[in-house]
Amino acid sequence: MHLFAYQLKQAFLSLKQKPGFVFSIVSTMGITLGALLCVLTLAYLLLIEPLPYPEQDRLFVAEHKVLGDKKETKTVAYSYAGLVHLYQSKAAFEQAAIMYYDQDVILSHLNQPLVNTTYTTPELHQLLASTMATGQMFTASEALDTNNPVAMLSYNTWQQKYDGSADILEQKINIRGVSYRIVGVLAEGFVEPELAEIGRETQVWLPWDYNQTDQVSRKSFLSIKGNFKFLGQLKKGLSKSQAQQLLTPLVSKRWQEGVADMEFFKAWSIEMRVRSVKDVMLGESESIAVMLLAGVIGLVLIACANISNLFLARTAEKQRQMAIQAAIGATKKQLFKAMLAETSLLMLMSIILALILAKGGFYLMQQYLGAVLPRVNELSLNRITLSCAALTTIILALFFAKLSTRIINYRELNASLQSSGKGSGLRVSTKTRQVLIASQVALATLLVFANFSLLKDAVKTINTPIGFTTNNISTLTLNFSSTPLSSEEEVIAIMAEIIEKLKTLPQVEAIAHGSSPLDGFGIKLLTKLDDNEGHSPYLKRIDHRYFKLIEQPLLQGENFTKLDSRDNNYSMIVNQAFAKQLTPDGDVVGMRLVSINEPEFKIIGIVKDIAIPGDTPFGSDDVAAPIPRAYVPDNLDDNNFILKIKAGQSISRQQLGKLLAEVDARYSVFSFKSANDMLTQSLFTQITTAVTTTVLTLITFFLAGIGLYGILSYSTQMRRFEIGTRMAIGAKRGDLILLIIKDNAKPIISGLLLSLVILLSVYFFFSVDLSTYITLQLAPLFVATLLLISTLSLLACYLPLRRFINSPAISNLQGSE
Amino acid sequence: MSTAILLLKNIGKIFETEELETHALKSINLTVNKGDYVSISGPSGCGKSTLLSIMGLLDVSSSGEYFIEGVNVTDLSLDQAAEVRNAKIGFIFQSFNLIDELSVFDNVALPLRYHADKPNNATIKKRVIECLEKVGLSHRISHKPNQLSGGQQQRVAIARALVANPAVLLVDEPTGNLDSKSADQVMDVLDQLNKAGTTICMVTHDPRYADMARTKVQLLDGAILQAPVAKMVG
Repeated sequence: MHLFAYQLKQAFLSLKQKPGFVFSIVSTMGITLGALLCVLTLAYLLLIEPLPYPEQDRLFVAEHKVLGDKKETKTVAYSYAGLVHLYQSKAAFEQAAIMYYDQDVILSHLNQPLVNTTYTTPELHQLLASTMATGQMFTASEALDTNNPVAMLSYNTWQQKYDGSADILEQKINIRGVSYRIVGVLAEGFVEPELAEIGRETQVWLPWDYNQTDQVSRKSFLSIKGNFKFLGQLKKGLSKSQAQQLLTPLVSKRWQEGVADMEFFKAWSIEMRVRSVKDVMLGESESIAVMLLAGVIGLVLIACANISNLFLARTAEKQRQMAIQAAIGATKKQLFKAMLAETSLLMLMSIILALILAKGGFYLMQQYLGAVLPRVNELSLNRITLSCAALTTIILALFFAKLSTRIINYRELNASLQSSGKGSGLRVSTKTRQVLIASQVALATLLVFANFSLLKDAVKTINTPIGFTTNNISTLTLNFSSTPLSSEEEVIAIMAEIIEKLKTLPQVEAIAHGSSPLDGFGIKLLTKLDDNEGHSPYLKRIDHRYFKLIEQPLLQGENFTKLDSRDNNYSMIVNQAFAKQLTPDGDVVGMRLVSINEPEFKIIGIVKDIAIPGDTPFGSDDVAAPIPRAYVPDNLDDNNFILKIKAGQSISRQQLGKLLAEVDARYSVFSFKSANDMLTQSLFTQITTAVTTTVLTLITFFLAGIGLYGILSYSTQMRRFEIGTRMAIGAKRGDLILLIIKDNAKPIISGLLLSLVILLSVYFFFSVDLSTYITLQLAPLFVATLLLISTLSLLACYLPLRRFINSPAISNLQGSE
Repeated sequence: MSTAILLLKNIGKIFETEELETHALKSINLTVNKGDYVSISGPSGCGKSTLLSIMGLLDVSSSGEYFIEGVNVTDLSLDQAAEVRNAKIGFIFQSFNLIDELSVFDNVALPLRYHADKPNNATIKKRVIECLEKVGLSHRISHKPNQLSGGQQQRVAIARALVANPAVLLVDEPTGNLDSKSADQVMDVLDQLNKAGTTICMVTHDPRYADMARTKVQLLDGAILQAPVAKMVG
């Protein structure tokens, strides 16, 4: 131990003389190990770490699949009546909770902030065993149909919106005109299951009874919404599939009874799907985590190959020093320990840097990937990260020490003391060099290809024209803070006045009634009159100014008029995709469609298709196909407006709030969003993927380039005398370039073939799991990757050779510069 | 009448560093005629190897003019110099400079692989065997250099130097890495070659072997000490 301490000290002093070497190793390993620790911690969290709830393996989400007449899935969402029926049936679950996810404005707060709200029954926090920072959670007094106006806040809401006020339990919170007494604040460490969407955190919890479903919809089995959820603890001994078998007939029968008076749904049914909370939360994140892990391990392997090369060169450089140590009695083991002291110090420095970078990485992931990956808020430098760091340090230190000492021939060390140095130094064996080159090429090809294919998809989505403009377009949604609601006529009059007021703003160029072109579509069930064929396009209510304002072209027929809205005309404009669905030639102007409990709709025009990122068609798996859409005139009481702002100008939320107050104080700004921001938000996953894969491709390429250059440069350096000899007997520069390329072609081609074999193996053995990512259509991309890596390899062959072949032959024979 | 194979006119070589300028060769005038056997000797650091490098177009002179078979080769490009080396000059180095990974056959055949005429494999094989027979090593054709003794390796190097029928053999300390018996064998081979008409220009510090040459050149501090002395052939 005493000797090792001495060797550590010597290693430190020796490394102090080599700042470039230390910097290369610590920066390369620090950065790649930092990424590895970051992704390892994330992967552990997503793949292994149980959710922080008691009996979490018995917590399941029951999902409501609406099946069409051909048993195809139309949607996975509940109707209010269906959800409450399931909740009250108590079937299959020992305890269950229902949730309604929404957003609301806290009217009682000075800034009237928009917050995420969840309306739920008291069982939810009992199932999650939530702990409180102060106060109490919902109890039986907030159960279904108790109408008890109380609220719970999240810890962050308490701290950020109420400054951690000590008298928070004496305060009330006003949402949509209802005053709720705050009864509790959840503990700081409470982790909410991300069931509605990844990264969504509820800020205010309210009793189920107060959710925003209107009285008509509460009784309907057709008012289907995606923001209803059901969570329960399965009865002991009941499996997931048993639960599904038990629930499906129960729920389907009730649903069919609920829609029995409508012919359209005669052949439709419900199928219940039961999934563990973890599965629902993780979704495709598990495969993302595995892919990230594979990518980062690839990077670390490339870095290790690079660093191996540096250590081999370092050993060659230290040959004389080791020969002296051997001459004065150092054993082989002692030489290994001396090398281990050096590799340990370097790996220790690298891992410290890696831990700092991992901490930064966690912060970045929490800031930017919270909406893409679940559980990122739980990321921290925990025992798993630290254990991995310690283990990695030990393994890498031992590996590099072993690799370095492996090239030393202990018996021949003494001979090096007598050698002239002319080509007689330590050499890395040809086999080792070839293995290093082949592995670098294979890893780089696989990583670059994987990144390219992800990048290609992301860029394709980002670059797909959406079919309308988002420039200078903003959407305003109003919040109404009074009960009971005003009459329809009164609302129409107020909305008209608000439009007139908005027009007076100097920044406003144009205005239309309707929700953002990027959302606000519902599903409309329609039947063609001539053949009774059912259709379910997305439907949006708009006014006559909508298409012109967002520059969505009208291809055929005519636009709505002002009168269509005023007179509640049943005219309809459809897009190309819906027109083609109705008749193959797409000529549908004048066609009539029937809806449930409504007069006939007459199609008056056809507009161009639009492509909203992330939108999936209702009842179809073909996500690439344009979505059938229909537009009908709004009835002027809609509280959504689209504003076209003059170029270079802007409107503040406060300015709008003031304007609304002048018209009717009961109205406030619910949200005011730029369409460009919304588009960026909906492309967030693709943009994140594009940026991440571009960065990873560049890092991979950079590391592979350095690694290949390093090993080929070393290899060429070792052949300097041979190159000099060949030059002496008449080899021209071209001959030597060909020679080096030919000699290195074997490991380079082996590496390329190895990557192909790995890829084909993955394709054939995991084709089901990876069908989204690996297809034969990617073959040209793989060829492009091969060409790119081959070019990189050729450059790495040529560049180190250049200085030898461009100087007189004698320089190489003498070893002088 | 003698024909000049190599003609050096006022050849000088200066090695420059930031702080120092070393005159390695000073105005060397030397003629090597067809069939000559020239030895260049002198103390360590006198410029023998530098002179041989310039004569072999491995290095360029700082001044003067250099002609091979009457052609001025002073300012050739790297590739032109390589072509002249391949066609006109055969090198023999002190440390043999054989390529370990190649067999004896492939080592000897190497200059023909780089030859402008691109001879076919049959021609190469015939020529390699002829040369190996000249040095008495045709039975070692498939061996690797590290399977041969030092003397055998140097004889392979001689065969390699001869294979492209060069105008002159430039020999740098051919016995420096050999025991005396092997050294004698190698010098015998060179002697035989010269007697058969091969022009040889050899750098050596061994007076015994320098005496074997017909013309002796003595170098001191980068200059020829005295005019080349031709030995009388009895």
